[in-house]
Amino acid sequence: MTDELGALTTIFTEFYYWITVVLMFLIHVGFCMYEVGASRYKHHQHTLMKNTMLIPLVTVTWFLFGWWIYWAFPTGPGLAPSIMNESAALITDESTFSAKWYVPNSDLMAVNLGDHISGVFWAAFLLFSWTAASIVSGAVIERITTFAFGILAIAIGSVFWTIDAAWGWHFDGWMLKILGYHDAYASGVIHAVAGGFALGILMVLGPRIGKFSSSGEPRNIGPRNPWLVTIGLFLIYTGFWGFYAACNIPIFNLGPEYGMEGVTYFTATNIYVTPTTLSGITMNFLMSLSGGLLAGYVVSNKDPFWTYSSGLAGIICASAGNDLYHPIQALIIAMIGVVIAYNLHYWVERTFKIDDAVGAVAVHGYAGVAGLIICGFVLNGYPSSGYSVGSMWVGTDYAAINPLGMFIGAIIMFVVLGLIPGWIIAKILHGMGKLRIPREVEIAGLDYSMLESAKKDERAVSSSTR
Amino acid sequence: MATVTNWIDHLSAAEVKGAVYPGVGTEGVLVIILLVIWIGWHVMTSASEDKDLAQAARKRHGANDHKSNITDW
Repeated sequence: MTDELGALTTIFTEFYYWITVVLMFLIHVGFCMYEVGASRYKHHQHTLMKNTMLIPLVTVTWFLFGWWIYWAFPTGPGLAPSIMNESAALITDESTFSAKWYVPNSDLMAVNLGDHISGVFWAAFLLFSWTAASIVSGAVIERITTFAFGILAIAIGSVFWTIDAAWGWHFDGWMLKILGYHDAYASGVIHAVAGGFALGILMVLGPRIGKFSSSGEPRNIGPRNPWLVTIGLFLIYTGFWGFYAACNIPIFNLGPEYGMEGVTYFTATNIYVTPTTLSGITMNFLMSLSGGLLAGYVVSNKDPFWTYSSGLAGIICASAGNDLYHPIQALIIAMIGVVIAYNLHYWVERTFKIDDAVGAVAVHGYAGVAGLIICGFVLNGYPSSGYSVGSMWVGTDYAAINPLGMFIGAIIMFVVLGLIPGWIIAKILHGMGKLRIPREVEIAGLDYSMLESAKKDERAVSSSTR
Repeated sequence: MATVTNWIDHLSAAEVKGAVYPGVGTEGVLVIILLVIWIGWHVMTSASEDKDLAQAARKRHGANDHKSNITDW
């Protein structure tokens, strides 16, 4: 960095992403609080540890291969040519955006004076990975083994979500070119895929003991600590703000980027390098949160747990197009998403005996899918990219956003990269006898042995007078 | 081990080398160590979890057993 303006832009961008990473950490704090608040006393400590340990597991694997996958797979491979080298193979050439820079033994994966951006960008995406795994974590509490969850967390956090991000959340992704896929703040690429993955696991894992009566009627197992759940969800909202900022590129000159001769146009962009503003998306974030809360309060008949979750579901539903929606559109879309997610949750629970302990499949999965489909209609005709606009199925340029492409995109996210891999991996773990804790332990509580071993000391301390 | 021993020399070179961490060139070995730590962690914790769960499952627990463990009085 030898000129001051260039240095300022670089350091600003570096610091911008760093701030988003710190904010997004609150998502994980929130998820931990939320899960512990939702679990029963006898499972509290294991529930907390399960979610906490996904942090190092996903981080290590993200370093080893997750980040590489994101840069290597935008073309499928084999589905649409790259705009950078026109090859449809894995992107491992010498270009700036090649995956070869992000293998774990690359000198860019470390302190490097020549690169101020890769590390914070790596970290921002990593925080998305934690979120994907943490979404799954809540659904399976109180009966999954820590080992199985660790494997599943790595699968969703460092493999399947990053494949979908390469395909549909990358300026060079084949889903943009062939389908006109648009998902600015990750209705699909984080939420639908994680919700689908969780549902696939739940189909194999089965419900908690006592969740369904002998006649098959579902019983409510409400949060044991509503205050922890409340603060947890507020923290998730807060971290989600950081997530929105992290999905943008804060400053970019689109003129030369799009090949417009003599045009200089600096703006913030979304992940697809199309223009938006941090100001506008902040309005949309708040309006979709409000829409979710308003609808959730009504459909759940004032249930606090569902009202808070609906605020989140509202944002998730509007997120696909929140870079372009009007704030009132964002609010209405959020309300629609909440009604769909809430009703689908109970329908699936009753019909298929699926025990989603925190409503994660509904809040993230169904709301995310609904958001993608709605986005296809509301943003129908907008270009999915600024580089070139073509038509669907061609693949050499970028299709416009359209309902069919977004519907297919939603299926890819929820079913192809979410539900099916989740189901298959859970089946394998089940076959190994590693998926679910023994019945006796579930009845006694995962923390039973831990608490039993501390009982003598604790009682002695509580009755001590000196 | 030190990659940089004089910052003035380093930064005034015709081409400033970006990688400044100790042991530049040993990244492959570091990655192998990380792989061993990662896989080893799963192996160790899986074995200990299996043992703990099997031990806890041996007793026929009642659904209220954990209440005798509540210590926050």
